[in-house]
Amino acid sequence: MISLTINGVRHDLDVEGEMPLLWALRDELGLTGTKFGCGVGACGACTVLVDGEAMRACSTPLEAIAGATVTTIEGLAPGGVLSAVQEAWIAEQVPQCGYCQPGFIVAASRLLSGNPSPSDADIDAAIDNICRCGTYDRIRRAIHRAAAALGGAPAANGANGEAGR
Amino acid sequence: MTGKASLTRRVFLIGGGVLGGVALTGLGVGVGYLALVDVNGQGAKVLDDRSVNLTAWINIAPDNTITIYVPFLEMGQGTHTGLAQLVGEELGLDLAAGNVRVVHPSEDLAAFANWTMMLDERPEQASGPLAWVGKRVIGALGAVATGGSTAMVGNWTLMREAGAVAREMLKAAAAAELGIHPDHLMLGYAGFGTADGREVKFGEIAEKAARLSPPSSVVLKSPAEFELIGKPIARVDVPAKVRGSAVFGLDVRPEGLLFAALRLSPKLGGKVASVGEGDVRGRRGVVDIVRMEDAVAVIADNSWRARQAVEALDVAWSDPAITLDSAAIVADLEASLKAKAFTREEKEGDFRRAVEKSMATVTALYRTPFLAHATMEPMNATIRWGTDDRVEVWAPTQSTMLSRSAVKSVGPAREVAVHVTFAGGGFGRRAETDFITHAARVALAVKGRPVQTFWTREEDMRHDTYRPASVAAMAAALDGKGQIEGLSATIAAPSLSSSYMPRNVGPSPSPASDRVTIEGLQTPYLVKSRVVAAVDSASDVPLGFWRSVGHSHNGFYMEAFIDECAATAGIDPMEFRRMHLAPDSRHARVLERLAKVSNWTGSGGNGHGRGIALHESFRSVVGAVVDVTVSGNRQVRIEKVVIAADCGRIVNPQLVEAQMQGGFLFGLTAAVFGKIDIVGSEVVQGNFPDYEMLRLASAPAIEVSLIDSDDLPGGVGEPGTPPAAPALVNAIFAATGERVRSLPVSEAGFRIG
Repeated sequence: MISLTINGVRHDLDVEGEMPLLWALRDELGLTGTKFGCGVGACGACTVLVDGEAMRACSTPLEAIAGATVTTIEGLAPGGVLSAVQEAWIAEQVPQCGYCQPGFIVAASRLLSGNPSPSDADIDAAIDNICRCGTYDRIRRAIHRAAAALGGAPAANGANGEAGR
Repeated sequence: MTGKASLTRRVFLIGGGVLGGVALTGLGVGVGYLALVDVNGQGAKVLDDRSVNLTAWINIAPDNTITIYVPFLEMGQGTHTGLAQLVGEELGLDLAAGNVRVVHPSEDLAAFANWTMMLDERPEQASGPLAWVGKRVIGALGAVATGGSTAMVGNWTLMREAGAVAREMLKAAAAAELGIHPDHLMLGYAGFGTADGREVKFGEIAEKAARLSPPSSVVLKSPAEFELIGKPIARVDVPAKVRGSAVFGLDVRPEGLLFAALRLSPKLGGKVASVGEGDVRGRRGVVDIVRMEDAVAVIADNSWRARQAVEALDVAWSDPAITLDSAAIVADLEASLKAKAFTREEKEGDFRRAVEKSMATVTALYRTPFLAHATMEPMNATIRWGTDDRVEVWAPTQSTMLSRSAVKSVGPAREVAVHVTFAGGGFGRRAETDFITHAARVALAVKGRPVQTFWTREEDMRHDTYRPASVAAMAAALDGKGQIEGLSATIAAPSLSSSYMPRNVGPSPSPASDRVTIEGLQTPYLVKSRVVAAVDSASDVPLGFWRSVGHSHNGFYMEAFIDECAATAGIDPMEFRRMHLAPDSRHARVLERLAKVSNWTGSGGNGHGRGIALHESFRSVVGAVVDVTVSGNRQVRIEKVVIAADCGRIVNPQLVEAQMQGGFLFGLTAAVFGKIDIVGSEVVQGNFPDYEMLRLASAPAIEVSLIDSDDLPGGVGEPGTPPAAPALVNAIFAATGERVRSLPVSEAGFRIG
């Protein structure tokens, strides 16, 4: 039995310790917001927070995080109230197909929790998820917008700066 | 040059529309029957739940919930929003209000059939007996399909008319209800009001409206009256996609769901020879092992357990009859091109004479590789094969009709209901049926239980239907002023349609009739003579429609080569294009806008370069300027992209901007990294580490400038893709003096990031 606190709720999972967190979330608990993209930690579609750190759920065995606190995309809006990052994602109309966006939103949430006013270079360094639809411009704008909404100082922008638009 | 093709020829030839061939050969039907096919969809119907269909596209519930049926797969392009705007414009809806829903219909009504794609005709221009027959045959087949950037093109008038018809019927019912003349009613959001403050909601009168006859004609709003069209309306699917509650194919969770992991032959065309089960059946959660001709699957209670189990099977595979090797295929293409064994040739003027008279000639050989789609959501489908042989399918599919027939090809299905989910990308890959067929075989093994059959990333990449590789020989004759007197574009490519058809539909046209091979080689530039020729060949590599299809390589060949001509002539590449365009043409307009928004002053040099490309596809013209910096160690940084586009009337500028950005980045990623190699029938690349993608740190910012136009809308999902590769290589040339004629540019020793 492996215990985890997921989105504020304790779960005792009777599953194999080597099962990656992703499949416990999706198939055992029905939390399908966290996506399967590559299975090797390369694309970031499965990004979740484990004890506050962004991790790739597809390559994180449950036995490695027993007792941890996990936050998924579903946990970012407790009581249905969207987080500032999610609100920014709507304001900037980021998603196209939307499949990769939960991973980006979770990764951006982690970035902003440690760095309230990230520069473009900070964003580039922190988030290497893949979006096949090409929403990167709007993702960048949404992160800057969320940072401003959360009270971070407006970031100085590099060549890719889009926050002013 | 192509002239007015016959219906038969068109339906056989157009990209994405090959189904039409079956329509004509398979249905020996009479005009009397065809006259009964309702392609207008304007009938009304009261459903069992007391909600009312007013036209095929609109459902109104008693609680005033308005459902708009959009018969196109939402795979990111925004079609659920853009088409809902058309209905909402005439019906008086606020798409952001809680009472409006947009869903894919579960019925393949004739009115939903995509005959715009099949006939390659705008509805506004499809007239005459051939179009009449074509529409009804395709409608009778229920050919619901998403592709060819046709959703807005095909529905611009149709879905506004549907909204107007429903509005007029509701208005008549409301007038009767309130006892006043219809002219005294004011249209509000999903209801009518009167001057003295009375109100009636659509839901209160919809049932009465359904008993009225649809009006024989309706007056559509003039552009000056538009409230939704032309506005950056928020996407209807974004809130769910941001919450993580949007249901993609892999998120379907019907009661009692099982999961099946699929293992396909490591070699293309390989078959299962034997399966050693070992202890797999006794493993935790394993329900069954399914052996198919070309695959094995394990059904289990959890995706991971299913995957572990299928990997544990001891499977022997038979070798395919033909060994495939991409390098040999490309060498064969090149040889056939040099032998000029053309299966198709179109000529205007005397190209040979132009060469003889010319002051300078330019020739170049170009190559593009096979490419994978790599949708973020790998292939999957969820199917319950009922014990009574009624089948339910949940899938992200670009064609419900093909999905249905794929299920029926597997077993004696009595009825097949297809529920279309959101798709995590499509790009043409979901116009295939392989993921449905395998899932149906698996579901048939455990009748009564829904099973979600999913592919790993590796299965998805190694069993894709690839963008064809091709080789093109380009030649131009320039006069003393640098004007192109003659232009020749010849290409050798395996035929996509002759691969797609037998796999998904049935009878196959000959490779030589594949128009997609040459689409986009017909230059917009004013030249006195030109040649377009192709060597189409049959292909044993599975080939599929890949965002922008033939334009994806031909846009590269044409616009990279034009840049070579400009350099030979010693003329600025922007000016060179301008001097070859009719001043009042769409292309000239786009180029002028592009020069302005990019602040064009020249293509640069000494490590900093700017490259242009201008290409028309899917009824839109898109131009781009790419800025690169190339440092001494061949490190390329793509600094910035500026796009100018004429897509006809813009229904939603923020959606069109997103499609231009996304389409361009799709092409740019392929130009930088994209390459599928096949060695000994095995696809080498398997996952993102070896099929790399541009990411936040390497993707440039893309500014989009859209031209205001009153013309009919053009496509937007695909036209952003073709200019990416040529603009990039032209920029690298400007920076370094080095021409990249073979994609991807990473193979030429450049590093991007």
